[in-house]
Amino acid sequence: MASVIKAILDWLRSLFWKEEMELTLVGLQNSGKTTLVNVIASGQFTEDMIPTVGFNMRKVTKGNVTMKLWDIGGQPRFRSMWERYCRGVNAIVFVIDAADHAKLDQARAELWSLLEKPQLANIPVLVLGNKNDLEEALSVEQLIEAMNLQAINTREVACYSISAKNQVNIDITLKWLIGHSSSASAS
Amino acid sequence: MSWKKDEDTDELGALLHLDRSTVLQEARVFNETPIRPRQSRILLAKIIFLLYRGETMSTTEATELFFSITKLFQSKDMSLRQMVYLAIKELSTISEDVIMVTSSLMKDMQPKSEVTYRANAIRALCKIVDPSMLPGIERFLKAAIVERSPSIASAALVSSLHLFGDAKDVVRRWGNEVNEALNGKSLSQGSSFFGASTNQNQVVSTSNIVQYHAMGLMYAIRQHDRMAVLKLVQTFSGQNKGSWMGGSAATLRSNMAHVLLIRYAVRVMDDDPSLAPQLSTLLEEWVRHRSDMVSLEAARAICHLRNVTSKQLTPAVNALQLFLSSPKATVRFAAIRTLNALARTNPEAVQPCNVDMEGLITDSNRSVATFAITTLLKTGNEASVDRLMKQMQGFMAEISDEFKIIVAEAVRSLCRKFPGKHSLFLGFLSGVLRDEGGYEFKRSAIEAIVDLAKNVPECKETALAHLCEFIEDCEFTKLSVRVLHFLGEEGPHTARPTVYIRHIYNRVVLENAVVRAAAVNALAKFGASTVGDASLQRSVRVLLKRCLDDRDDEVRDRAAWALRMTGDESVRDKYIRDDSTFALAVLERKLVEYCADPGAALKGSFNFDNVPRISRAQEVEARDRQRQETMDAVLTGTTLKTPTSSKAAAGKGDLSADTAHDAGASSGFVDIFEQQAKYASQLNAIPELAAFGEQPLVSSQTPAALTEAETEYGVQCIKHVYSNHIVFQFDITNTIPEQVLEQVEVAMEPEEDIDGVLQPVVVVPISELKCNEPATAYVAFEHLDPETFPAVSFACTLKFIVKECDPATGEPEEDDDGFEDEYSLEAAEINAGDFMQATYIPDSHALWESLGEDAQSVETFALSNFDSIKECTEKVVELLGMCPLEGALTPKSKAAHQAVLTGKWLGKSKAVARARMTYQKGAGVTMELAVRCEEPSVSELVVSAIA
Repeated sequence: MASVIKAILDWLRSLFWKEEMELTLVGLQNSGKTTLVNVIASGQFTEDMIPTVGFNMRKVTKGNVTMKLWDIGGQPRFRSMWERYCRGVNAIVFVIDAADHAKLDQARAELWSLLEKPQLANIPVLVLGNKNDLEEALSVEQLIEAMNLQAINTREVACYSISAKNQVNIDITLKWLIGHSSSASAS
Repeated sequence: MSWKKDEDTDELGALLHLDRSTVLQEARVFNETPIRPRQSRILLAKIIFLLYRGETMSTTEATELFFSITKLFQSKDMSLRQMVYLAIKELSTISEDVIMVTSSLMKDMQPKSEVTYRANAIRALCKIVDPSMLPGIERFLKAAIVERSPSIASAALVSSLHLFGDAKDVVRRWGNEVNEALNGKSLSQGSSFFGASTNQNQVVSTSNIVQYHAMGLMYAIRQHDRMAVLKLVQTFSGQNKGSWMGGSAATLRSNMAHVLLIRYAVRVMDDDPSLAPQLSTLLEEWVRHRSDMVSLEAARAICHLRNVTSKQLTPAVNALQLFLSSPKATVRFAAIRTLNALARTNPEAVQPCNVDMEGLITDSNRSVATFAITTLLKTGNEASVDRLMKQMQGFMAEISDEFKIIVAEAVRSLCRKFPGKHSLFLGFLSGVLRDEGGYEFKRSAIEAIVDLAKNVPECKETALAHLCEFIEDCEFTKLSVRVLHFLGEEGPHTARPTVYIRHIYNRVVLENAVVRAAAVNALAKFGASTVGDASLQRSVRVLLKRCLDDRDDEVRDRAAWALRMTGDESVRDKYIRDDSTFALAVLERKLVEYCADPGAALKGSFNFDNVPRISRAQEVEARDRQRQETMDAVLTGTTLKTPTSSKAAAGKGDLSADTAHDAGASSGFVDIFEQQAKYASQLNAIPELAAFGEQPLVSSQTPAALTEAETEYGVQCIKHVYSNHIVFQFDITNTIPEQVLEQVEVAMEPEEDIDGVLQPVVVVPISELKCNEPATAYVAFEHLDPETFPAVSFACTLKFIVKECDPATGEPEEDDDGFEDEYSLEAAEINAGDFMQATYIPDSHALWESLGEDAQSVETFALSNFDSIKECTEKVVELLGMCPLEGALTPKSKAAHQAVLTGKWLGKSKAVARARMTYQKGAGVTMELAVRCEEPSVSELVVSAIA
């Protein structure tokens, strides 16, 4: 009974108060993290981006949810710092350049070493195969295979194939993310 | 910003009891969601406070903290963000991975964010950025430099100045932007375009600080380009308005920038005396500037000019005189300080201000009053001294030690000026010795008394009595030792030495080991003195015997040595009457080397023969000079002074320069020994050359220039003679920024036949020679026949591979293989003088006699090309490579002169040269040169050096 009342209260609260959630975007350099953040924030695609040195912080409000997006640089020297920014977030978003076959192995290694960190246990992970507008881009199935995602069984994992450029599947990505805000995950 | 008053004081009170671990605990606040701006801000303040207080943080702690702080970037609270910037700057040196905030800071410095964010973000960014990332942010910084808002432009300029140290090449490329900021073009344009939008101009400062910062950066970029600095000075000189800079009248709105400009102008004058007349007119003009600051700086610059004339000084002194009556204490202070420094060198020039300075004696600002009195003491006449000293005594207790030292120094120089007033000075000095004071102050007072005792014989006994009284109750061991040494030197020659012996022996009874040892030495001097009667010597021996029971080894050793020595006449003379001493810098270096080499003790004990000797007089002169320089530094307190004084010291090493008076020459010798020690360590760094011996027997004193000044390449030659080798050292400078030279070497072609005498063995080239980075190449010859000493001249050619390079970076262009080139130099010569080491030999007269006529070689020369004896002496000293004895370089009469020179042939055999010269107008100088040497064959060689 109590849980039912709590669920109703939460639902009511979500109607009146804004929900906050924190997300961290990681992934190899040139996979499109900063571009994706821009698309989510402004709905516009900007071609030319300089590599992120360090991190960018963006706040984006979608409906009644405010997302704090930590966009961390993907160059090798920043990878050791991913973990710091992934601690205690609602979800980790791992962005992959699905069209860059040469870097897939590296991406998988980085993803798995990140997920092995004890501090990050149980945090849901969303793997995004970006740049599906390009011909050589992998499909979702191929990507799951390449990242060996089926082997993850201790946490929630999702994988979408998206294109920040053509804004393909951005909507379902947002839906998944909002679904993992604190209230949603509590219910 | 939003702190309320009561909370504010509470927080500040809490700051005093902060401790690091609590603060680090509290740092969890940063990670809370949502952010709590106020708590976070206060905590950041606490962290910064801790760091400022000198608390140290480990790298892990700081890194942890740093990453927590980065989380605060999500808050839009402006004052919190400002604290974040500050904290990042403070942590940037301790924490790891600070580049993490680069992107965030770059976002904040974009034109679309707030001015407050932008300026602070630029400052923080430049702290965390490493030179490799600089090209990435270059564009933004360049834009920020020419930004209209002063706070942003200033931030960018100052940050660039900081970056300049690590990334000179990148910052150099921003010259145009800096120039624009300097000339304030962007500002005037900005106001014409955006003049209407007043809301944008809320943060407009009127201090013109941008120009000041731009000036500093501009100079940093251009400082090695003398013409560019000159142009910078001229641009703002106001003389030729409109002709420079394409019609834009460049004006200095910032007084501070103007002050900088004056300093740069002085540096240009120092570097290139030919520009001095032009620039000193400028300085004179600036003395009349309406701003106090500029006027003072210009006056100060004039007063500190080298070889300043009284005509130049007059306007400066007049301006300073006016400032003396300024209502502002700082202005009065600056003026009187400059006058004080000037009075040291040019007391007559300051005399017109005497009346104004009299008025300042009672100034409420004690610092001003002290300077006024000490200046007056230098400029005033004998009659005013009594009154001034009395005045000074009145407030000695009220001024700080630094000023007391200045007073003591002033009294010291006064003692020399007015010896008649010695009782007054002694009374004053002994009075201040009784007062409280630090070591430095007491030392300068002691030195003043010692000086007085040495120079004014009438007051010697009183001075010694005062010193005796002082050491009875002296808390500084060093000063006791100093005084005891002096008593030992002077005491034996006084009428009643017994008085001092009692004081000295008291020290043996009462003091610590160091002082006791010094006291034993002083006693030994009394014992060895031949002036006193036999009973005195017996008493001293009794006292010394008692010291044999001392509990300290050193004291006992010295006592035993003293007893042995005082008993034996011949030994006694050797130690006590020796008027020469080791060149201490060399001795120290040799001892350090000896101790550092583990095998050295096996090879034998330390060899004192290799240490050059200098006369006591020379040593005293060197010390005096050092004291003068430190005092100058204290008084003028300027960084400008450093290059000048070092240059002056270098100039003194050059005997042929106009520093031919005794002080300059002898202090030059001390410099030369230090220079030679430096050569030796450079030579030993090269394995091929280190094999020739531990250090050269003889090194040239002055480098010989093989190129004209102001040519493309500068080459100086220094010769080093080893027992079996001769090494030519070439110091080469490349002055062409567009070129990098590689494989630089000097080819030497003997102009005479040297087969069987010299044979080239090693050539050490310079692998890469960049612009204005001098490097050294060597050519070594083996000296095959040790009996013959060649006098040969070599035709020298510089050979190298030229590569074009980017003048900004100094990196050679990659695809450039370069081409070989040659550059002919003047001939390098070697003659007998190069084998002679200039060494002071004590008691040269006795040596001269003992060597006798058998070892002598005499020749008479008619030297018609000299116009004076002085000129001739200098040339002889240079050719023979020997050390001129006291008075040798300062002929007393124009018609006849005798100079005595000493040296050691190959650093071993002692040689004395006596040159008798007569001068007749029209006929030139006639010189009879007689040389006596321990090795008779050498005498002839030395004489032949003149021919």
